[in-house]
Amino acid sequence: MDDERVEDAQEIVLVARKGGFGLPTACPVCLPVYCYLRFAKVNFKLRIDRSNPDSDHIPYVEYGDYVALNNEKGGVLEILNEENIIQLDSELSKDCFSDWVSTKVMISTWLAEAVQYELWVACDSSIADYIYFSDLPWAIGKVLHWNQSRAVKQLHGITKLNVTEKEEEIYRKANLAYNALSAKLGNEEFFFEERPTSVDALFLAHAAFVINALPETSLLRSSLVKYANLTRFVETFKGDMLEASCSSSQTASPFEASSSSVPRTKKSKQSPKPKPKKRERTEEEKSFRRRAKYFIAAQVVSVLIFLTVLGGMGDFGVDDDDNDGLAYDD
Amino acid sequence: MATDPNTEGGVNPKPAEERLRHYVGSEIEDIADARDGEEEEDEEEEEEEEEEEAREVGMRSAPRKEKLKRAFRRLSQGPVRIRVHDVIIRGNAKTKDALIEAEVFDAFRSASTMQELLQAANFANTRLRRLDIFDSVSITLDSGPSELPGTANVVIDIVEVKNPLTGDLGVYTKPEARSWSLEGSLKLKNLLGYGDIWDASGAYGFDQTSEISVGVALPRFKAISTPITTRISLLSQDWLKFSSYKEHLLGLSVGLISTKKHDLAYSLTWRNLLDPSRMSSKAIRSQLGHSLLSSIKYTYKIDHRDSNVRPTRGYAFQSSSHIAGLGPDSKLLRFFRQEFDLRGAIPLGFYNTALNFGVAAGAILPWVGYTNSTTPLPERFYMGGHSSPICGLGGPTSLLGFKQRGLGPMDLRRVLSPKQSQDEATASSGGGDDASGSIASPGRDAIGGDLAVTAFADLSFDLPLKVFQDAGVHGHVFVNAGNLVMLSEELTNFSFQRFLHTFRSSAGFGIIFPTRFFRMEINYCYILKQFQHDHGKTGIQFSFST
Repeated sequence: MDDERVEDAQEIVLVARKGGFGLPTACPVCLPVYCYLRFAKVNFKLRIDRSNPDSDHIPYVEYGDYVALNNEKGGVLEILNEENIIQLDSELSKDCFSDWVSTKVMISTWLAEAVQYELWVACDSSIADYIYFSDLPWAIGKVLHWNQSRAVKQLHGITKLNVTEKEEEIYRKANLAYNALSAKLGNEEFFFEERPTSVDALFLAHAAFVINALPETSLLRSSLVKYANLTRFVETFKGDMLEASCSSSQTASPFEASSSSVPRTKKSKQSPKPKPKKRERTEEEKSFRRRAKYFIAAQVVSVLIFLTVLGGMGDFGVDDDDNDGLAYDD
Repeated sequence: MATDPNTEGGVNPKPAEERLRHYVGSEIEDIADARDGEEEEDEEEEEEEEEEEAREVGMRSAPRKEKLKRAFRRLSQGPVRIRVHDVIIRGNAKTKDALIEAEVFDAFRSASTMQELLQAANFANTRLRRLDIFDSVSITLDSGPSELPGTANVVIDIVEVKNPLTGDLGVYTKPEARSWSLEGSLKLKNLLGYGDIWDASGAYGFDQTSEISVGVALPRFKAISTPITTRISLLSQDWLKFSSYKEHLLGLSVGLISTKKHDLAYSLTWRNLLDPSRMSSKAIRSQLGHSLLSSIKYTYKIDHRDSNVRPTRGYAFQSSSHIAGLGPDSKLLRFFRQEFDLRGAIPLGFYNTALNFGVAAGAILPWVGYTNSTTPLPERFYMGGHSSPICGLGGPTSLLGFKQRGLGPMDLRRVLSPKQSQDEATASSGGGDDASGSIASPGRDAIGGDLAVTAFADLSFDLPLKVFQDAGVHGHVFVNAGNLVMLSEELTNFSFQRFLHTFRSSAGFGIIFPTRFFRMEINYCYILKQFQHDHGKTGIQFSFST
């Protein structure tokens, strides 16, 4: 199976949302997966999905006959790791493992929330519109955008009364995170063990998005660019990792409709398990069901026979009143 | 002018009968006398007493039947010239005069003889009853002003519905759902006085559809003299079992023209396809998401068969054209969909047998770039299911013996890697999806086709027992065939030969029970030809049509 997976590496397809702002995919949820695959030096194709702005199954990776969806089991990256498609995080030493985990969590929670806040609440709506809704018809885009903004506010518990406090808290955490990351990175090339791990991919995606997509007036962006080594980190890898043309080809989804995808936090099921399949039925159950169906069918047939044969036919054979030419015809 | 006691709380006249109360010339007097005498005699006596106070006594002396004969003789000798001077409407507290006048004016204006006037009165009565907003309608012909001889006034007495709110529960077919459904609805009649009927309905369809909708129907709107309907609906269809997706629709539809032969409707629909099961195939997965459909659909239908339930002679034809992509936005779904349906019935002259045959075809193509873009999944053709092709004009969708969405292009569902299926096994108690009957196989999604053709031939006959014949229960033998293929990828490579060779077919016999609500068939189907991934099953099958 490992050999097959290695061969299938030729057929890896990443389906993500559309690119923009100099990035191959401008969605902050899809970009980490892209960076991860690039850091792992995997050959893959990039296919753009334009119709699912609010679905959490995107981004997903098709590898051979299998597919890793983002709304399963901790996300695409977890699945790719478990399936040993990409083993960027294997063989981490025990010393830095706990540090690595907490850094990863910090980027995935504090920094991700800060980006969500900037994108859907703080900044101009045109950024989110371009990334997620520019390929959808205008009316749908407007409604979905409004819906997603409302969902993000609900997720963070932001109301009109506490918006200032919440905003301060979000920026404070982001600042702390940047400070910690800058201290961790120092003058090194990578965050851990002088080699790329998923932490590098996650942070590169986050920082590239913040620097390229958010406007210069953005508070989050201003916080980030204060840290020279973090900015240097982005500049170093942006050219190699984020050029859309390198070892990937973009193909549009069949509809040609631009659809921006919004991480759908309200409606989609967040459960880690996929919908349970039908239980394997025992032979007894199967025959019981079959008999029950025949029994019900026999009841229905007998009622109908009673109604038709003994109860008369009803009005089916009567012609319309319209036959004397009073119909609404031409 | 004598009044009509019947419309002032007395017994209402029988439906579709107007009563001649006043006479213009002796011919009318005779007819009225005779007809009054023959029908409701008690009321006649009452009315007679009242009339005697206002009229000549001598008219009543001749026997009534003799009078009627004389009157009709005079009428049959030639036209009795008369014209309508005025139409007086009484009893409409809420309903606008203009609505009633618009329904009846044309008929009365064109009447120039007594015979035509009687016909026009009957016609107007039916039209007004059909508005469905009155409890009763009564039309009286009165004499015109005395200074204008040869004229008549028409008096329309209506009783508006006492309770404008009604509830309804029934089984209906809906073109947009393409199947039949159990529907409950609440109707509010004539809220604004324009004959408007508002309704809110909820429906559960037997193809896993549920729908909530509100709508309003107007009998006429400004210059448009045919009914206009508008409907907003929220619909959810579950196709997880067959195609691994669910469809949510929010739609606005406006029925612009609705006559017996023509139907034109515009619809604006927001559609979202999603896959909560996360097991969809690649073809389905690439179609998930939001789309907006702005389309116009025109249906032309003629049905000259003698019965909807058991046609024995005649023919029927339906053509349905659906154009989507109307609007300035280039991101709307764009396609053109056409369906034809032709049926014929020939009586064979013995034992009430009849040969029914039919052919239906449909195709859908994207507007532009048809070689490299695909058609939207829900708009494609699907074949199979429990509906019978014999009576209804439903397009190329029915093939007896095959399950719902049971033939045509299929795509392999998502394959779980061993590790994923292990996790699945621990998380839930079962193994893989057994849609194809095998635990290990993931099953297939029906992805529909762009070109569909079906054909059938059916011989119906009476059953030997008289009790069945009286109830209309009859038997039939049938053979049908159909094929469904994708076109967009194959348009340049389309091979007619191959299309013909890949037709599926089935044959069988059965008994038909026409009931009040639907026509049910119990058939034994034998699959003559099917392919590897089709879901055809030889055996007993139930089919329904409304």
